Amino acid sequence: MSHQLGRVVSIILHRYFGDIVQTVGDDLFKCGSKPIGMIVKTTGLSRGLVIESLRTLLKYDIAAFEPSVNQLIAEYKLVPENVLLLIRYPRYLLQVKSKYGSEAELLIEELLQQATCTATVLLVTIATKYKDDKEKNITIMSLKDMFISLATAGYIQQAPVAELKEGSEIPTLVPVATIVPDLDTRILLQVMNAGNFNDVKDNIYWKVNYDRFHQDFRDELMIKAITRRIDENAGELMRFLLEQMYLNSPAWAPESNPVSALDVRDRCRRAATDKPLLQQYVDQYLKVLEESGGGFVRRCGDASGGQFCVRARAAALQLVRAALDHLVTERLGSKAARIFRLIRTKKYIEEEDIQKNAMLVNKECKQLTYKLLEEHFISCQPMRKAATAGGMAKAIYLYHIKLHEVAHTAREMCYRSLHNVSRRALHERTLHARLVDKQKRVRTIVHGMRLRGEPQENIDDVEETLTPPEQAVLQGVEKRLKQLSTAELELDKNLFIFNWYFTYPET
Amino acid sequence: MSVKQEDQLKEKILNVARKNPKGISHKDITAAIPDISSAELVTAINELLQQEYFDLFNQNGALLYRLKTQVNKQAVKGADNEEKVVFNLIEEAGNKGIWIREIRIRSNLANTQLTKVLKSLESKKLIKAVKCVNASKKKVYMLYNLEPDRSISGGAWYQDQDFESEFVDILNVQCLRFLNQRSDKIKNNPRGPIVGRTQSYATASEVQKYITDLGISKVQLDVEDVITILNTLVYDGKAESSVYPDGSKVYRSIDPLIPAPGLVQVPCGVCPLVHKCSTTGLITPQECTYMTEWLE
Ligand code: SF4
Repeated sequence: MSHQLGRVVSIILHRYFGDIVQTVGDDLFKCGSKPIGMIVKTTGLSRGLVIESLRTLLKYDIAAFEPSVNQLIAEYKLVPENVLLLIRYPRYLLQVKSKYGSEAELLIEELLQQATCTATVLLVTIATKYKDDKEKNITIMSLKDMFISLATAGYIQQAPVAELKEGSEIPTLVPVATIVPDLDTRILLQVMNAGNFNDVKDNIYWKVNYDRFHQDFRDELMIKAITRRIDENAGELMRFLLEQMYLNSPAWAPESNPVSALDVRDRCRRAATDKPLLQQYVDQYLKVLEESGGGFVRRCGDASGGQFCVRARAAALQLVRAALDHLVTERLGSKAARIFRLIRTKKYIEEEDIQKNAMLVNKECKQLTYKLLEEHFISCQPMRKAATAGGMAKAIYLYHIKLHEVAHTAREMCYRSLHNVSRRALHERTLHARLVDKQKRVRTIVHGMRLRGEPQENIDDVEETLTPPEQAVLQGVEKRLKQLSTAELELDKNLFIFNWYFTYPET
Repeated sequence: MSVKQEDQLKEKILNVARKNPKGISHKDITAAIPDISSAELVTAINELLQQEYFDLFNQNGALLYRLKTQVNKQAVKGADNEEKVVFNLIEEAGNKGIWIREIRIRSNLANTQLTKVLKSLESKKLIKAVKCVNASKKKVYMLYNLEPDRSISGGAWYQDQDFESEFVDILNVQCLRFLNQRSDKIKNNPRGPIVGRTQSYATASEVQKYITDLGISKVQLDVEDVITILNTLVYDGKAESSVYPDGSKVYRSIDPLIPAPGLVQVPCGVCPLVHKCSTTGLITPQECTYMTEWLE
């Protein structure tokens, strides 16, 4: 685990949970896993605070525990990947909203906040919150239905339960298979009217299934890429193939089991009104997708009109390449990117041939090649030629790309940038903390006055305590923070591609 | 007319003759070299005949000049043995030329003597020395009337051993423009995606014609040259290539699979100081000017 990851994890923990949790998190990151006593010792925090922090971390799945060797005490460790998920929350919400509407968004939002929670508590809490909101018109019935849909589709799942194994003092968390619940609306209504959860017997806990969202993100990436490369019809076809893939293969399989063209054709027929061209030319689209679709799909048999495999691993590879191409272009210019791609196409290539194929001036070409070398985008391997007569033996240098390593470097760069962006945001916030506080206070006061129906003049008076220059500064801060958080989201999307690529072992 | 001009003219005529091994008439010459006066032509031809470059034929009442294949052998007639040996070695090398070192090894002549022989052959306009593009100090010898091979002269992209990168850049842009004109054909084509894809492809010779018609190139580019340029587009990630069943290469312009990713949207992704930047010290994200500018 890298230093850069540690930095970004630390700053995210600080943002979401404050500096005590940050200290504990840092400590865990550095040491791998350790028991509470050790954490207390190294951080110098009181035992109570450490326990409190660990509780928070465990709740959000950011830390895990396991029994130590003697099975008597628990050792804690940080799960850095899950820390990074915290900044992905807005994306989950957006995704579920666009797919299932705003009720689903409320459910996921609440569940993300609670981390784990029973269905009854979740539904009743939301329903109570929006009881008086006529606009949204949210009822506990519709929420319940939505909950069931989300559970069926796998966006939420049952939380693992703690079990005590024999001979151990420390419980282990055992995952349970999710059973779509049968919720009784009457009981829900009763609880809601009672206003407390005292006699609820529901003890099944739920949590958000991140992985299901990640599958969606991956699918979206593949579909968008195909749409860019070919057209919307081909993108839609990709979607259908993915749908079929889920029926017969594990979601993250490097290559899916064969999908029959018959099923796909069937699916296209059902979408005929939307995409008439696709229905008319399914077979042609399959062929073009296979040949010009970046290798996302492979024909793997001819039975029943053709069999196709979805190659998620190949897709990840292509997307990482595309991302790296962009990176090289932006950092070293398009000519360097030309050399970079050339080397990738030829696998191994001599300096002289680079110049010939890239059609660049000798000197420029050499400079760019060395720049690429310096930034670790390419590697160089000297090869001794067998000694020829006259001691003319000259070493030749073969350039090539170790994609795995380059992707690794790029991912580190993502972590670094993410840290820098967050750090800058923190800086902006602290710099203007006083002013932002003031604005907040003014807003609450004004809000209170409006509710009480006080005259407009008084409200204006209060509002005017923020002077125009202050307003201008505040606007600037707001704009900058917004830009920074957009950047964070984009960086996270970028990281997603890299991490997807890294889920498959290097070949 | 100066001697140099005369030589140039002769070279031009010889070039025409080389392209028509069956022979050329007066008309062919004037067609190929329009700015030649008949007096000049006559003197030039006479001299060439004297130097025994041409055979003279009479075909249907018109005079035909045909390039002699054996010119060179006769030209060395009367030369001494050393010259003949060296000449033969050079002739063998064809239009790839031969390096002086190699001539020396194979002819077993002493350095000084060899230089003398080469000088004499050069002065008789039997051989010439050509500079190599990929190694500027290396000279190779070849027969006087040969066009140097691409690997030696660098082909259309070189002007006196200098690589013309601006020319290449212009061609690169123009080729892309041509491909872009048809790249949308694959999208939602009412006649199906296969027809659409075919319509979005351009063969190398189509591109060559387009480039020639544009008239931006002073030299005649052949299909191979255009393919070289088109390949740079492929390495630029702006085009993909494929091969038709008949073996001809086709190209179509493409977009990258993803738009600019997050990393290059933030200043850190393109920052030259990225490895020197840390939480404390001289370069920090809090104080970074790149960030400040970007946030403006
Ligand atoms: S914060 Fe500034 S100096 Fe640091 S990497 Fe980013 S752009 Fe470069």
